[in-house]
Amino acid sequence: MEQESKQALIEAKNADSTLVAFKANASRKSLGRAIFPYLLIFPTLALITLFTFIPTINSAIQSTIKPPRTVQQEAEFVGFKNYLDLFDNNTVIGQEDNFQRVFVNTLVFVAVTVPVCVILAFLLALLLNQKLKLTSIYRTGIFYPVLLPLLSAASIWAFFFADSFGMLNTTLKAIGLPPQGWNRDANWALISIMLVVIWKQTGFYMIFYLAGLQNLPQDIYEAAQLDGASALRRMFNLTIPLLNGTTLFVLVIAGVGAFQTADPLYALGEGNPANRSNLILYFIYQHLNEPRDRGYVYAMTILLLILLLVFTVFNFIFIERRANYED
Amino acid sequence: MKTDATPVTFTLNRQKIRWNLLITNVILIVVSIIWLMPLIMTILLSVRPKKDTLGAGNIFFGSGFSLEWFQSAFDSQPWGTYYLTTIIFVFGLLALQLLTITLSGYAFARLDFFGRDFIFILILVQIMIPSAVLLVPNFATVRFLNLYDTKLALLLPYIGSAFGTFLMRQTFRQIPRELEDAARIDGCNWLGLLRHVYIPSSTSGYIAFSLASVSAHWNEFLWPLIITRSDDNRVLTVGLGQILRSESGAQYGLIGAGTLIVVAPLLLLFIIFQRQFINSFLRSGMK
Repeated sequence: MEQESKQALIEAKNADSTLVAFKANASRKSLGRAIFPYLLIFPTLALITLFTFIPTINSAIQSTIKPPRTVQQEAEFVGFKNYLDLFDNNTVIGQEDNFQRVFVNTLVFVAVTVPVCVILAFLLALLLNQKLKLTSIYRTGIFYPVLLPLLSAASIWAFFFADSFGMLNTTLKAIGLPPQGWNRDANWALISIMLVVIWKQTGFYMIFYLAGLQNLPQDIYEAAQLDGASALRRMFNLTIPLLNGTTLFVLVIAGVGAFQTADPLYALGEGNPANRSNLILYFIYQHLNEPRDRGYVYAMTILLLILLLVFTVFNFIFIERRANYED
Repeated sequence: MKTDATPVTFTLNRQKIRWNLLITNVILIVVSIIWLMPLIMTILLSVRPKKDTLGAGNIFFGSGFSLEWFQSAFDSQPWGTYYLTTIIFVFGLLALQLLTITLSGYAFARLDFFGRDFIFILILVQIMIPSAVLLVPNFATVRFLNLYDTKLALLLPYIGSAFGTFLMRQTFRQIPRELEDAARIDGCNWLGLLRHVYIPSSTSGYIAFSLASVSAHWNEFLWPLIITRSDDNRVLTVGLGQILRSESGAQYGLIGAGTLIVVAPLLLLFIIFQRQFINSFLRSGMK
């Protein structure tokens, strides 16, 4: 009897300890299972934090600080003064031929190149979407600049813009028009940069429209044609609304790309004359190594980010609304 | 274009279609020539003899064919080193990106964990904040990490890819769960699942991402320019930048030759594989 109870006790103890061990094992296992997803996303999240989130927050903080001018001086919190200085005619950085001009240039640059590229891409895609014998040659001819670095695209165009013997001026002279100074002329400098970017990027957006066109439902078109809708009406009432998604996507990537254009300026005049062709990101690059402009440079970075954010959000709202309205 | 059933308008329509096709072709030929002109001129300028100045005579053709400009371009920069660095940069980056986006894409697509949706949206914010804009703070970070003028510094800011994570999450989510369940019954752990189920079924997603990544970073300029100093760590575009800067006066032949040295590999690959290349773009279509 005593032995039996002892036996039972031992068994119970054993059972208990295996249960405890089992429980411990389970909790370790479930702990592992709980941590596991975080381990998978850790590299991505950590690197994005280190090179996107922290730099953004850091820029916002640094943009409110005036760096010391001399060794004795200390850095000073100045609030929004750096931002105000950028647009102040009485500061070196803000006077009319400096940041003010560069800021306006960037807006003009985006406002011209994005619509021109996108409309041109759409029209070319419409033309290319027919059964043509030479389709692949046309496509290649228009698409290839996409693969070139922006810098070499610009260096290729340097010859086109050359003074007396450049391609464009030779052509102008041949048809009896006066030659221009192109990227050295105050009125033409920004237009020259725009030409390079339009030439380089149109083929890229054209591909997305071609993809969109090929996915359009054909039966709707046949129905519209039976109803006697003209080609122009079919384009405006069917094709364009049906491609709203593509247009939104293309507008966003074109705009985001245009806002951060800098490379062509390195090959074509470095923003000269007098910042007439300069853009914000290249201006930032030019002031990168000026310790006393540190606060300004961070303020410009934040401004550029705000422009990008506003642009993207605006596009989403605008196109979403139009899409809903047309439904 | 569909033709009408009635025979009277039939011939009319056919004529109209023929005119349409003719106009389409003429427009496309003109546009293609304008678009190809810069490349053609670059090639012509770079094979022009040095003694033929551009001011005198024909701008298209010189007095003969010569590789003098290419010789000068090759002598002026260590292109071999630049090529090697560019390849290490672009493909090393791609390998690291493919690894990290596969892991995070899988986690966001198929695992349940606290804060998942919040973290995912947080990561998506990065799509709106391009690394190029964060030139100054990232430069400071690299300096702080003591990585200035290293190959690692070239690729570090680009490894964490929100776009890639998003793309892989979408791709993985389209794979039927039954496949995963079947593989689990066969005794696959998560690594086996990725290897045998998820990765093999997502090749088109991987190809699209790789094409986008390689062509974007092969063309990178400003970041490599500011973050490197020695020839060993410089990439091709920076080499071209050196040519643009080093010469007094515009030596278009030299610039043309340098440009062609930089763009030739990608351009040749594209011309050979253009159908597959464009089709894979069309198919991945970012619908």
